[in-house]
Amino acid sequence: MSLTLGQVLALFGAALAVGLPGIGSARGVGIVGESAAGLVTEDPGKFGQALILQALPGTQGIYGFLAGFLTIQKIGLLAGNLVDITPYQGWLIFASCMPIAIVGFLSAIYQGRVAAAGIGIVSKRPEEVAKGITFSAMVETYAVLALLATILMLFGINI
Amino acid sequence: MAIVNMKKMHLLGLKREKEKILKVLQKTGIVEVIDIVEDEVSEDAKELNGEVQRSYVNQELNRELIDLENKLSNLKFGIDFLKPYVKPTNPLIHGKPNIKKDELQELLAKENSILESLQAVFDLDKEISQLKTKKSKLITQIEMLSPWRSLDIPLEQLGETGRTTFIAAVMPRKSKAELDKRIADEGLLAEITTLGESKDDVYTLVIYHKEHREPMEKLFKEYSVNLQDFGSLKGTPKELILAAENEIKDIDKEQENIKDKSKKLSDNIQNFEILYDYYTVEKDRKSAFLKVMDTDKTFSMQAWLPEEHEELVKSQISKVTDTVYMEFSEPSEEDDIPVLLSNPKLVEPFEVVTELYSLPDPRGLDPNLYMAPFFFVFFGMMLSDAGYGIIMCLLAGYALQKFKLAGTGKKFTALVFLCGVSTVIWGAIFGGWFGDLLGLKPLWINPLDNPLSVLILSFIMGIVQIYAGIILNAYKNIRAGKIVDALMDQGLWLVLLTGLLMFAMPELATVGKYMAIFGAAGLILTQGRSQKNIIKKFTSGVLSLYDITGYLSDILSYSRLLALGLTTGVIATVINTMAKTVSGSIIGYIVMALIIVGGHVFNLAINVLGAYVHSSRLQYIEFFGKFYDSGGRAFDPLKVKTTYVNLEDI
Repeated sequence: MSLTLGQVLALFGAALAVGLPGIGSARGVGIVGESAAGLVTEDPGKFGQALILQALPGTQGIYGFLAGFLTIQKIGLLAGNLVDITPYQGWLIFASCMPIAIVGFLSAIYQGRVAAAGIGIVSKRPEEVAKGITFSAMVETYAVLALLATILMLFGINI
Repeated sequence: MAIVNMKKMHLLGLKREKEKILKVLQKTGIVEVIDIVEDEVSEDAKELNGEVQRSYVNQELNRELIDLENKLSNLKFGIDFLKPYVKPTNPLIHGKPNIKKDELQELLAKENSILESLQAVFDLDKEISQLKTKKSKLITQIEMLSPWRSLDIPLEQLGETGRTTFIAAVMPRKSKAELDKRIADEGLLAEITTLGESKDDVYTLVIYHKEHREPMEKLFKEYSVNLQDFGSLKGTPKELILAAENEIKDIDKEQENIKDKSKKLSDNIQNFEILYDYYTVEKDRKSAFLKVMDTDKTFSMQAWLPEEHEELVKSQISKVTDTVYMEFSEPSEEDDIPVLLSNPKLVEPFEVVTELYSLPDPRGLDPNLYMAPFFFVFFGMMLSDAGYGIIMCLLAGYALQKFKLAGTGKKFTALVFLCGVSTVIWGAIFGGWFGDLLGLKPLWINPLDNPLSVLILSFIMGIVQIYAGIILNAYKNIRAGKIVDALMDQGLWLVLLTGLLMFAMPELATVGKYMAIFGAAGLILTQGRSQKNIIKKFTSGVLSLYDITGYLSDILSYSRLLALGLTTGVIATVINTMAKTVSGSIIGYIVMALIIVGGHVFNLAINVLGAYVHSSRLQYIEFFGKFYDSGGRAFDPLKVKTTYVNLEDI
């Protein structure tokens, strides 16, 4: 099987779309996990609330995975026969992967920091956990928008 | 509907009937006693002669309350201590047991014997902690002695004899050989016998002649040799270890014994629980006493109650006494009115969403009725998988049927059920049944085939909700009599936004253009009306148009409806694709089933969380931001509040 430059570029974009937000989410979830573990040492009963906060920065990884999946579906890799892609189209696909790759990576880390601060809310005023979740969701907005941009760009490219 | 109207009750009664009246109010459970003592004492008490007496009464009451607190914490300790020894019953399934009045009376009559068994629990606890310290002491002793196990001289005989000195010493492994060498070189009369070894150290018995004491001690210092002090221990280490081990065995036996005793005592746990609840109720009532004003023979109190219950409270009180004066009044401007919400059954579950944000201002709007339909629709659209919706409905429905839920728990479960219904509807519309597992055709459109249509639908939803928010704000202004504000602030924005929207549609573009210009001009002219200076009037008018970016970003924010819906669908599809690739053989089918079940459970969990968080966010930021006044205080009536049992009648 001989690959064209276009196909390589598209796959490279997909790899970045899955990889970078994945790293970001891992870090975000990790940051919250560290605070959460400290909280649970003191009060094991708050595990559930802490877990919700920890799950929040994990979505960027899922968004990235989603974008990557849609990309490899678009170039026909899933069906087993790669579509012939010109370098020009390859660059387009690569570009459309960038919003979620970059924003997903960074926003997951920032969201992780907000959620980790939310652990403080859980420890002192557990009844107010919804507010901590909301603060954290504010950060995620931009990951959602980036995902949306990626998807719309991807669907707009004709192969 | 919405926020319940409250009335303020003023009650004047005889002091000796205070207990009786408050008991009735507590049983009715719909009255919140207002603390009127705090302010009155600080201002008036200085002039009153009764000040001394009052503080005396309060002291008495406080002492009673402290007694009750102590009793409660003791009972709580007893309950927690005995809990591991009784078979756990799940109050969610069985509910709390009902305790009748005569049962309670019987129990109160033999309260002393119950408190005796509580004392027994305390004794057991004390014994347990004593045994624990003893055991850990023995364990350290064994650890300390075990390297010396091969020393066969009783410890008390170490030390000096007529000519020689016997000592036990610990030294670093390296030092031992060098020390031996030095002793031989310097011709000292000394002998080092190795008794035991650990990773770095050797445990030795050192014997030397008394005359060589000084050089020996110098050598010890040089090679960092530690002399072991056994304190007052007697006998050989072996014997001592054996004795300690036997003692530990005895302690273990004793601990078993205590467990048996605790098991026997555990029959008392229900008595403890009943007493605990009884005294909690008592404490709540006595705390209310602190908020009531006393004179020599009478007392006066104020309380909040829902308007609709006025007659009920009147009749309940007149049942127990005639010598009471009651007056009900509307709340005044500066009153801190508590908030109680009352909504139709279908809207009630959504109160949880608002409560997690903040209760409404008592003089504001209850947003639940308006927020509920949006939350319902948005949640379903973000999860948008009929299969997942069915699972949610089944789980929540089962919980509602089977468990005896109350309060927030019940509301929340009902919310899950309703959101499940919405998810089924949207799933059918978008053709998502566990992703593409069932291969059913969508009723309208698959968002993967045509994301733009769904994106436009998301924006339309957003526009509808934002309009609703602006209109509610206008309604709020009109209700407060500020019709001009409603017309200029909200009315003109509606004109401008509608004009801009029409401008986007070719056939309405001209009308839209003039509407938008009219709206914008109106805003420029009116938004600066609070400013005095004419230039400031104009500039703040122009600057107010900047808010348009706010509305734009609000509408764009609704694109998450599409994005989160796509996430669920695509990941479900990925799971199905992965599962299909392994099918073929028997093992393949088993793995396939595992992937499908595990994958969908994961996807469901992560996306339910996402849908909940993001539909809440749309309410909190985009919708509530437009009109909602928060900051209410929850209505907290004096009532019979129990933890373990239902006290039917007290």
